[in-house]
Amino acid sequence: MVKGELEFFEMIQMQLPGLEGDFTGLINIVFLVFIIMMSLYGARIQMWQWLKQIEAGLVELERMKKESTQKAIDTFKKFGRPEDEVVKELARWLDYFTIMPVDLDPAGILKRLDHLLDERRDRFQEFVSELAPEGILSEHQSLENTLEVTQVLDLVYRVVRHFYLIGKKTGSQIMIMQIHMQMPDIMRLAKAYFDALDAFAEGKPIGDGIGPLVVTRFAREYGGTPDSYVHEISREVGYYPIEVEGRIVYALRATGPGGTVGKPGFAVKKLVDDNKGKIARIITVDAALKLEGEDMGRVSEGTGAAIGDPGPEKHAMEQTATENDIGIEAIVIKEDEAAAVGVLDKRILDSVPEVIERIKTSILKRTKPGDKIILAGIGNTIGIGL
Amino acid sequence: MGLISKLLGIIFAASGIAILFFGSSDPVWSIAYYILGLILMSVGLTLVTSRGESKERKPPPPTVTEIRCDNPECTFKEIRDFQKADYILKPMEAQCPKCQSSMTIHGIYVVREEESE
Repeated sequence: MVKGELEFFEMIQMQLPGLEGDFTGLINIVFLVFIIMMSLYGARIQMWQWLKQIEAGLVELERMKKESTQKAIDTFKKFGRPEDEVVKELARWLDYFTIMPVDLDPAGILKRLDHLLDERRDRFQEFVSELAPEGILSEHQSLENTLEVTQVLDLVYRVVRHFYLIGKKTGSQIMIMQIHMQMPDIMRLAKAYFDALDAFAEGKPIGDGIGPLVVTRFAREYGGTPDSYVHEISREVGYYPIEVEGRIVYALRATGPGGTVGKPGFAVKKLVDDNKGKIARIITVDAALKLEGEDMGRVSEGTGAAIGDPGPEKHAMEQTATENDIGIEAIVIKEDEAAAVGVLDKRILDSVPEVIERIKTSILKRTKPGDKIILAGIGNTIGIGL
Repeated sequence: MGLISKLLGIIFAASGIAILFFGSSDPVWSIAYYILGLILMSVGLTLVTSRGESKERKPPPPTVTEIRCDNPECTFKEIRDFQKADYILKPMEAQCPKCQSSMTIHGIYVVREEESE
């Protein structure tokens, strides 16, 4: 040891009174090395820890991705195509993408978005009918949903893996930190979709379908039947014309029991256009995400269009309500993400009578006999008959 | 596994506290005991307070189909396991065993456990 270093350690030793003996120097050195290591490499150790945690999440995401793809293969191969062809076609389809319209010139963006969404839907339908030639329409619709869930899980896995690898490659702390912080939310979302796959593959009703279910139950109470249902006023959407306390109610929903949301916004617009000046009120019923701590199946009401589409449907509804000066209100049933995409929860189903009561109250209080009302049940109709 | 880790945690934490209290009278060794006591105590407390996320995946709750008699005066209700091609509001071929009226699938649902807050 050189003279300067000796003096340094002696100085440290002097700062720690009561430490004398053969081990004093050794302990001091260990302590000092620990402090230096932590200040120089603390961030690296932390990054290593984050990377390990992301890695653990990635392993879980990969498992979900593989199992969901296998489930999709098992479901599709029941409809007439051999397994090897299904595997090949699905692999080709899993990273199908949609490019969002340019928003630098926002004029007409919703029309362009609607066009792209229609085109995307057409491609999905075409793909599913080719891959499941022996399926009927409602089965095709449910298969589309199965495919979409598999796509979501595949995309989530690929995005997380991208950030993990790029963070590892560049050593960028901010990149790794961002994905690490988002991991709990990403895992929650992936788990919700993974658990929902079974519902879509087997055609079970999901939490998001509560809107169409409420509308159908309401329509049935007032004499609506599958035979009185008017089909296709817009893509995969129709309505029951019913009479409620002297008012005409168009109880509108997507056509089930296949898995579809349809285009209810444009259906509302068409009904308003067809009944120019006669529609007095629009009531929308939909599932809404609950805040943590709120009760599952809690019913809330408010003003506006309760519809969670990317934009065109909601815009069509708001625009037509504004242009025709029609009151528009929303009744929502609170549920979490897992319940919205998973098999219908008993607590959500139990909320139906309360929602129906609120619809009746709204109709009686805010409209008068002779008025026409649109009641729109928004949501995925998988497993919910007419 | 959870119980074992909690027990180990308690033992570690208790040993850490004991070492911190009694340690050594030798000033040099007392530092070593101090560090050892702190490490044992923190490892023990971590084991005790960790939520012990179980790696075992719980199977999803079973989906059931609830069938009800269409006669408003009849209270017949049947709950059975979900079968493929069941959907809500599907008219059943079988008649009500109580009043011979038609029956409909009233609900298809799962009963999830309440989340612990």
